[in-house]
Amino acid sequence: MLGLAAAGESPGDGEDGMNFQIIVDNLPYLLWGAFPEGPLGGAALTLVLSVVSSVAAGALGLLLGIALALATGNVHRLLVLVLGFFRAIPVLMLIFWTYFLLPVALGIDVPGLLSVACALSLIGGAYLAHAVYAGIAGIRRAQWDAGLALGLSRVQVLRYIILPQSLRMMLPSFINQWVSLIKDSSLAYIVGVPELSFVAAQVNSRLMIYPAEIFLFVGAIYFVICSALDVLASLVSRRLA
Amino acid sequence: MTVTSLFGEPLATQYVLWLVDGLDMTVRVSLAVAVASTLLGFLLALLRISGVRVVTLLVATYVALFRNTPLLVQLFFWYFGLPGLLSDDAMLWLNSPHVLSVGGVELSWPSFECLVATLGLTAYSTAFVVEEIRAGLRGVPDHQRLSAEALGMQPWPIFRYVVLPQALRIALPPLLGQYMNIVKNSSLAMAIGLVELSYASRQVESETFKTFQAFAIATLFYILVIAVIEAVGQCWAWQQRAKARAMGKTA
Repeated sequence: MLGLAAAGESPGDGEDGMNFQIIVDNLPYLLWGAFPEGPLGGAALTLVLSVVSSVAAGALGLLLGIALALATGNVHRLLVLVLGFFRAIPVLMLIFWTYFLLPVALGIDVPGLLSVACALSLIGGAYLAHAVYAGIAGIRRAQWDAGLALGLSRVQVLRYIILPQSLRMMLPSFINQWVSLIKDSSLAYIVGVPELSFVAAQVNSRLMIYPAEIFLFVGAIYFVICSALDVLASLVSRRLA
Repeated sequence: MTVTSLFGEPLATQYVLWLVDGLDMTVRVSLAVAVASTLLGFLLALLRISGVRVVTLLVATYVALFRNTPLLVQLFFWYFGLPGLLSDDAMLWLNSPHVLSVGGVELSWPSFECLVATLGLTAYSTAFVVEEIRAGLRGVPDHQRLSAEALGMQPWPIFRYVVLPQALRIALPPLLGQYMNIVKNSSLAMAIGLVELSYASRQVESETFKTFQAFAIATLFYILVIAVIEAVGQCWAWQQRAKARAMGKTA
């Protein structure tokens, strides 16, 4: 009973085995939603959402990490506290904040996709900031001293001597954060953004017969994407080591 | 919705109590998952380092599968898929109330949502806990085991008294991090209808339209739980440092 059962089969037959015809029938919808007639959705939207959030999180993490490295005393402590806040709350809670409160606070209509991207970027940025900070702190003190002795300013030393070395070490963390963001982008389901998990739940509630097949298949799509990035991260870290 | 409702009057006590009930559920489920995933993770870590190729491969596959798929999809799979995979009798048994008596205390039978959330979160978190414990076991230098062997100790006492205490010391800080993740991840159980803290905050929000208050209190509750775990870690680290200092003095 694996696979090639007819689509119009009675529901009872599904109990003997798995029915993957249902996947074949809904494949385009799961992969790119109603596109091109309607908006982009499914796995394609998951990728778009995760790439946009990863880039924003990377920029934010770099900025905050550098700020952490340069700031001293109370400013440093304040930064650590703010970053700790973002790391302490569930991604879901942050999505609620951006989805329900951004429109009220800004007085404009914020689309669900943007609010989720915002939440994911903030969380990702908060995590990456510490990785960037650790990367900068991992460069030996002597490098700073040498740069300063040459008459460079602190910012110049950071820009031309420290960052080029530490960014290489950080590349795997950036890729790993991307994997996390792909998984976290599934939370967009909660606010009705039609990414992969949402369309899967939609297909599931329309059919209500083959939930195991649908979620196994969707899990497999995520698994392929995340594992590919995982392999990439370990290749990169081996080449840089 | 206007800005006045954003910072308006505080929530009625009744709604704050909804949130407290949500927190209660979050803490219960997280505790159950933390205990279960630590025990399971420990077992799997031992199997992972057993040296038996098939077993090692199986554990590695489990870890890869559960780490590289979203928790939400896993929860959906268990919630919607499990009933179809179990027999009708088993489902009936799971859905009907039972009384658990543990040491004279009667526990009420949890809902199907609660069971599935605990199962799903445990399966997911275990994949992370295994790796932390394995890293801890690997972090114990080999000469520790070899010196114990040279002293004539047997394999089990070596593991129990030499390797394990050191491995746990290495693994505890990252494990606490995993426990924090469990608390945060438990919020996803609202998607399968478990009335925990995030679910309660949405409920209060849609009932009262006091968006800010509802989410602010829920967020504070989460931070509170995370802070408690963090404090435990800090206390432990402080104790370790004190112990190390005391040892240094006697040496």
